[in-house]
Amino acid sequence: MINLMKKIILGGLALLTVLLTIAPPLAQAHGERATEPYIRTRTVHWYDMVWSTEKMKVGDTVTITGKFYLMDDWPDAVHKPDLVFLSNASPGAVMTRHESYINGKPAQQSHRNLEIGRHYDFKLVMKGRVPGRWHIHPVLSVHEAGPIVGPGSWVDVSGNFADAKYPVTTMDGHKIEDLQSYGVARAQIWQAIYVVIAAAWLLWWLRRPLLISRWLALRNGREDLMITPADDKAAIILIAGLLLLVAYGYMQVREEYPNLVPLQAGSIYTPPLPELPAPVKVEFLKAEYDVPGRSLRMQMEITNNGDHPVRLGEFLTASLRFINKDLPIAVASVDAAFPQDLVPKAGIVVDGDTPLAPGEKRVIKIDATDVAWELERLVSFLTNVDSRVGGVLFFYDTKGNRFLSSVSGPILPVFKRTI
Amino acid sequence: MSANDQAVLEASGLSPQSIKWSRLFDYMVVVIAAFLVLAVNQIHFILLAGDWDFFIDWKDRQFWVLITPIVTIMMAASFQAIFWHLFRLPIGATASLVLLLVGVWIVRYHAWSGLAYFPISLVVPGTALVGAMLLDAILLLARGWVMTAVFGGMLYALVFFPSNWVYMAPYFLPVEYMGQMTSVADLIGYTFPRSATPEYIRLIERGTLRTFESSAVWVSAFFGGFICIFLYAMFWWLGVKLCSAVYLPMGPRMKTALGVDKSEQPA
Repeated sequence: MINLMKKIILGGLALLTVLLTIAPPLAQAHGERATEPYIRTRTVHWYDMVWSTEKMKVGDTVTITGKFYLMDDWPDAVHKPDLVFLSNASPGAVMTRHESYINGKPAQQSHRNLEIGRHYDFKLVMKGRVPGRWHIHPVLSVHEAGPIVGPGSWVDVSGNFADAKYPVTTMDGHKIEDLQSYGVARAQIWQAIYVVIAAAWLLWWLRRPLLISRWLALRNGREDLMITPADDKAAIILIAGLLLLVAYGYMQVREEYPNLVPLQAGSIYTPPLPELPAPVKVEFLKAEYDVPGRSLRMQMEITNNGDHPVRLGEFLTASLRFINKDLPIAVASVDAAFPQDLVPKAGIVVDGDTPLAPGEKRVIKIDATDVAWELERLVSFLTNVDSRVGGVLFFYDTKGNRFLSSVSGPILPVFKRTI
Repeated sequence: MSANDQAVLEASGLSPQSIKWSRLFDYMVVVIAAFLVLAVNQIHFILLAGDWDFFIDWKDRQFWVLITPIVTIMMAASFQAIFWHLFRLPIGATASLVLLLVGVWIVRYHAWSGLAYFPISLVVPGTALVGAMLLDAILLLARGWVMTAVFGGMLYALVFFPSNWVYMAPYFLPVEYMGQMTSVADLIGYTFPRSATPEYIRLIERGTLRTFESSAVWVSAFFGGFICIFLYAMFWWLGVKLCSAVYLPMGPRMKTALGVDKSEQPA
């Protein structure tokens, strides 16, 4: 009875394994929450993000635009952005990429020597390919640091997968009907020819007395029976035939395609965007993470060197936008289409939230409380090698101008409020 | 059945009944061995050649031409040694590469296309099958590994590029895209995104191979052939060792360790 149960359980597990292999569940995440918090809070900050649409058909276009800031307090443990590639994160090639730019320059290849502490804008033009609901992020892959994933938005793609076609005309006039299947039949035909010849060679041997009998005959000293003159002739014919076939094919293809180019590689340099005016000087004083309260609290000294009073409107870190709900212009900066899971409901509470007059210096405290710290797996900064936190502060003056300042510093885990 | 086949059976010393069953056993071993060879080859190839074979926009004139033959000849040489050493069958390399190709295409359709939505044009594989057949045929004529290594190893690498170029060439037609000249292969790689494979990770013709103008491919192929000669010898030796019976020294300590020392057993 026990044996029967064991067999049933093992059989069930085997069946489950086979089923999972045949029809695996779809992975929809891209590892954005697995990246260490000190990378997500202190390397690339994505802002002004816009996805042109949330719903589209196969073949329709979605354009993702925005800016990114390379934080000045870039962690030592992360390789500097000396070589980067702008891409997108999605579950496989469900969308196709048609254009990508950094600061208006094509980002088909990698960009080199991006400058820490500077801002860049980007644009990704994608088309729907596979029907479904897909989470699409921009990604900045940094050489020797890995992909740094930006905020993601859900895009619904409807229609028929068969409608996805990618025609291209080459520079010498070849018309390619569909990039997805181009050249596949030709490769399969040639490889099938090779396999047929190989199968003939294998059958030449497999049809004869094979393993046991040959092994015994060899052990009995009958080496002379193993290879016949016919085998030698077959080998010579095989060598000659293959060399002729390869030489003929190679010459034919050189004639058929006289103008070919090698793979294109190499990086390009793009200067950063011009320096933005930054009249608000921020000096980090202290930060703590209240573990039971799920609150990040930060104390800083701010100085307004501008001509108009300013208020703090937003704290951006790890793609989370903590908005000062008491400042209408900051609330209005969040587009209705922006992914709401990245806009914590409570926003930030600013202690001392009165306009900072020109020339005034003041110590303020911000409190960003939300379960997102846990959901986004950001609290592991308490166990990282570089236990610091950072982000971008968005200030607004009374004229409606926006100023960006970065802030970063060490963070302490606490179990009751200290600041 | 030919007279030679009959002579082999007689020389084996098997009875008529045993001959019949040995044939069935042969077929069973062949089927099981095919799965093993496929799996071993596949794992070995994925780990060592990986992206160069996975993606069309990795198939450059330097590393693809160099890496694919030197990775595939390892298993080809080992399996060739096993089949030759035990059975004098010159089929190990061919069987190895045929099964690798079958495995590669299964993975292309099931995993790359089925699970990751990559179009097959992005993941068209190359094959060293022509070189493998030449390797087996040269072993048969040479009757030993030394000449096979020298001539077969070099030829194995040299024919890799032209035997694949007949179907890879169209992927290197020039295309104008976003104001730049690029190849169709580059365009396919750009159009169908691989989130975790940034462009800079590709190793495309690094270093200076311009001594012979743009013929980087043949410099790589000759260098690959040179490496293949030595790798063939190494992995032939490994194959022979792996299929050779080894007897453990059975001193008193080993007998005790294996529990076969009668003197220690209770009466």
